[in-house]
Amino acid sequence: MIHFNDVTKVYNGNVKAIENMNFTVEDGELVIMLGPSGCGKTTLLRMVNQLESITDGDIMLNGKSVRHSNKIEMRRNIGYVIQSNGLFPNMNIEDNAMIVPNLLGWDRKKMRDRFNMLMELVGLKPDEYRKRYPHELSGGQQQRVGVARALAADPPVMLMDEPFGALDPIIRTHLQEEFLQIQKELKKTILFVSHDIDEAVKMADKIALLKGGKMMQYAEPAKMLNKPANSFVAEFVGQDRVLKSMSLYTVRDLANALTLKPVMESPDSQNINENLSLRVAISKILNQEADQLIVENDNGTRKGSITLDLIEQFLHREIKESV
Amino acid sequence: MHDKFRRCPPITDLIEYFTSNFTFILGYTWDHIKLVGLAIIIAIVIGVPLGIYCSVNKYAASTILQIASIMMTIPSLALFGIMIPILSLINEGIGTLPAVIALVLYSQLPIIRNTYTAISNVDPDLRDAANGIGLTTFQRLYKVELPNAMPLIMAGIRTATVLNIGVGAIATLIGAGGLGGIIYQGILRTNNTMILAGAIAVAVLALIADLFLRLIENIFTPKGVKK
Repeated sequence: MIHFNDVTKVYNGNVKAIENMNFTVEDGELVIMLGPSGCGKTTLLRMVNQLESITDGDIMLNGKSVRHSNKIEMRRNIGYVIQSNGLFPNMNIEDNAMIVPNLLGWDRKKMRDRFNMLMELVGLKPDEYRKRYPHELSGGQQQRVGVARALAADPPVMLMDEPFGALDPIIRTHLQEEFLQIQKELKKTILFVSHDIDEAVKMADKIALLKGGKMMQYAEPAKMLNKPANSFVAEFVGQDRVLKSMSLYTVRDLANALTLKPVMESPDSQNINENLSLRVAISKILNQEADQLIVENDNGTRKGSITLDLIEQFLHREIKESV
Repeated sequence: MHDKFRRCPPITDLIEYFTSNFTFILGYTWDHIKLVGLAIIIAIVIGVPLGIYCSVNKYAASTILQIASIMMTIPSLALFGIMIPILSLINEGIGTLPAVIALVLYSQLPIIRNTYTAISNVDPDLRDAANGIGLTTFQRLYKVELPNAMPLIMAGIRTATVLNIGVGAIATLIGAGGLGGIIYQGILRTNNTMILAGAIAVAVLALIADLFLRLIENIFTPKGVKK
């Protein structure tokens, strides 16, 4: 758990970078801090592992004040991933990934097993990469190693500073999905900085939207999109916020909330799996691929059909009375 | 006499000189290597830590680099000359000690400056990652900063060595021996063959030293930094 307690950061005696920040990242939660550049999100992240000092207030990491912890020991217990991956060019991939276990004095066998396991986890073949050097890897591969390094000593908490920001869109999407898979399995407590609202909507359990060092809204993605707390939030999440929020609901959510229409056999219909998002459903209809979509579960059993009207009805309901 | 000076010795004279005085030249070369080698080792021991210190203390950096630059601007002949009265106070006015001190002072600038530049230029993201991961300042220095700064630091040491081998020829004037002795004797005897032989020996030694240090650099530079 990371608990921000009235955290304030003042530069040069008068420039307030962070003002009275109060929020909590619960265990196993992935919280994304979002905001325009200069909003203080990276500063706040770096205050957790004390790369930036705290002027006032405190951050409690699993119940311990970071201000009064041993910095070195604390940092070894926090996974840290940065945008430029920060792999050390002088070390091979195994030494890079295992640097923290090495500092902690793990034995050779334990480190090797851990390396093999982590590389499989991030989707790289351990033996193929072990002896290679960072510059021989592509950006995406380097960042996978960066994630493996952060996970090496199995820290309960991870700090990630725009980890996928420097990658091209295709690789980025890929890594985001893989990382979500990893997170589902490992359930780390993660504080993540991003400037990309789509990334936040896709990955976060909660989003913290900052502006000028102040918290604008701290909420689940769906709530932030459908119920922005103020005009800044509404503007930041974008005009298409409702459309974005569609990716957070599955067809099943709609089926559970409303009664599906009966299936009518017509040439203008297509099947859709109930696990797919409403955004996919809406796209299919708007692309003129079909007028109605027949909802199927994993076994192929038809449960009914949805149309644009029904989605609209669902949206209305979610936005008006939601969360 | 003037005629003799002007005439360039034929190459056969030179070869003849080298073959018949081989052990003599070798002895002078060995003295030269000992003198410069000792000076460079001391220079590294002083200069590299100073360069590292400069990279963490920018205020000290400008002062230290300034002093090292001034050392470099003193004509080498004068620097050796100055050593005589100063070290005469402890009865060491001539010989190896003043020569080594002069050479050490002379080689500080390339070593300090290159070390300072190399460490300051290590990618700030690497430093950030090293800190964030939980490396202590000392671990960061020897696990990350020094290995990545190695090529540039070694380049500074190579420059200093080649420079010192050349400047070291003057050390003979304050009684420290070395290949300068052959050149100096050549001048005194107006023997062009000797002057040329001494000069060639100094140049060859400098080339060999540079090659040797490249080899060492190659061994000490981590594979991933070479590219």
